[in-house]
Amino acid sequence: MNWENFKNIFSDVETKGDKLIVKTNIAKTIDFIKNNYHFDVLKNITAVDLKEQGVELIYHLFNVEDEEELLVSILVNDVAESVSKIFDSAVADEKEIYDLFGVKFIGNDELKRLYMPETWEGHPLKKDYVENDERLNWNDKA
Amino acid sequence: MTKLKLNLGPQHPSTHGVLRLILELEGEKILSCEPDVGYLHRGMEKMAERLSYVQYLPLVDRIDYLAGFFYSELMCRTVEKALNLEISDKVRAIRVMMLELNRIASHLLWIGAFLMDLGATSPFFYAFREREMILKYFEKVTGQRMMNNYFVFGGVRRDIFDLEDVENILATLEKKVPDYEKLITENPIFLQRTRGKGILLKEVALNSSITGVNLRASGFDLDFRKRDKLYCGFYFEPVVLEGTDAWSRYKARVLEIIESSNIVRQALEYLKKEGELNQSLINPLNIKLPEGEYYSEIEAPRGLASLYIKSTNEKTPYRLKWRTPSFYAVNLLRKILVGEYLNDAIAIAGSLDIILPEVDK
Repeated sequence: MNWENFKNIFSDVETKGDKLIVKTNIAKTIDFIKNNYHFDVLKNITAVDLKEQGVELIYHLFNVEDEEELLVSILVNDVAESVSKIFDSAVADEKEIYDLFGVKFIGNDELKRLYMPETWEGHPLKKDYVENDERLNWNDKA
Repeated sequence: MTKLKLNLGPQHPSTHGVLRLILELEGEKILSCEPDVGYLHRGMEKMAERLSYVQYLPLVDRIDYLAGFFYSELMCRTVEKALNLEISDKVRAIRVMMLELNRIASHLLWIGAFLMDLGATSPFFYAFREREMILKYFEKVTGQRMMNNYFVFGGVRRDIFDLEDVENILATLEKKVPDYEKLITENPIFLQRTRGKGILLKEVALNSSITGVNLRASGFDLDFRKRDKLYCGFYFEPVVLEGTDAWSRYKARVLEIIESSNIVRQALEYLKKEGELNQSLINPLNIKLPEGEYYSEIEAPRGLASLYIKSTNEKTPYRLKWRTPSFYAVNLLRKILVGEYLNDAIAIAGSLDIILPEVDK
């Protein structure tokens, strides 16, 4: 793959192992990769809570012609850019990440909780999540 | 004309679990659709962070109870990759055979349930009759009809036996699948309900991350089994149809049953000749994955399933993430149902083969 052109435009991009690490402008970068390198499928977005460092979002991109994979990752704190206008599948992924990690995606109009009830407090997959569901302590009540 | 909001599900019999669709209608035309999921959320990913790998293994079959072997295989494969465990060729053949039998069972259930959604009752019983043979065999070998928990890290729980049962299953399928085709495929009522309904163009499918049969029935040849090491040495041709509608998704699944039984036959021929079972088993109680990120994927009956594990050299994973194909199919309903009539909604949603435990995780 010819990354020369790419590196000229996005100077703050690093590679680490098989991952492309982006600092800012994730939507623009992904849009560029999609249009210029034919990564037409966003397999999924994985979020990992790295505690103090923030939440790492990993975009699994797939090139259907050459059957090539690309991981693009970015570290965010609570707010991230949405790629839902570029990939429709991201709408669902971003909803899930918002629900379980509390990352707000700017530009996703359909963002709301996916699994948990609207009134639920906290985001379950965060490492600092405290379970305060009273049903878990049913034994103490009696 | 006045607009109407209609709530479909979550207890509707043809939503295959608990899917709720909030439809906005004008007359009988659907203006917008909003899927509401989460009724079956069990916190699979949260649970993984507390359980050791061997404790978590029996749970993964429940992500998709109709294709439990695939998720088992995915979990085993990721751990094997991290620990550099090689599986022997016989284990590989056993796994392929079980996976493909599972795929056939899953597609058979889909055919039955889909036709039931459209109002035809009898195909359901025919499909279940054949599926029953497969489940009986699973029960014999693994002790369970569904959610088998048969694959373990580095091998399988016990050696395979009674291969003539599998031969029986294949012979029956060979006889019965043409019967389904005669009964269903060219049936005029079925054609009217499915031909030209739920058009899914391949550009839309790729953009919505739709994989598996749904994508291949839209004319795009992408089968992750082709790049899968497990299937190395097995010959098969992915079923690709150009139709893009609900009917071709049905047809593609029928053809895939035949294709899968060919793979089963190849595995069977190999297993008949093979001798003792060679496994590279490890003590499952002390499994700690080396620090790092592990990713693996498999072509499940509903599309691409994948597993991501981030390990920090602890007994439990730091983060574990499943990608399930139906998750994206539900997301697609927002688009694919718009402009269709209400009475086609069930046929279209059914044709995508959505299974809800997989969506809700």
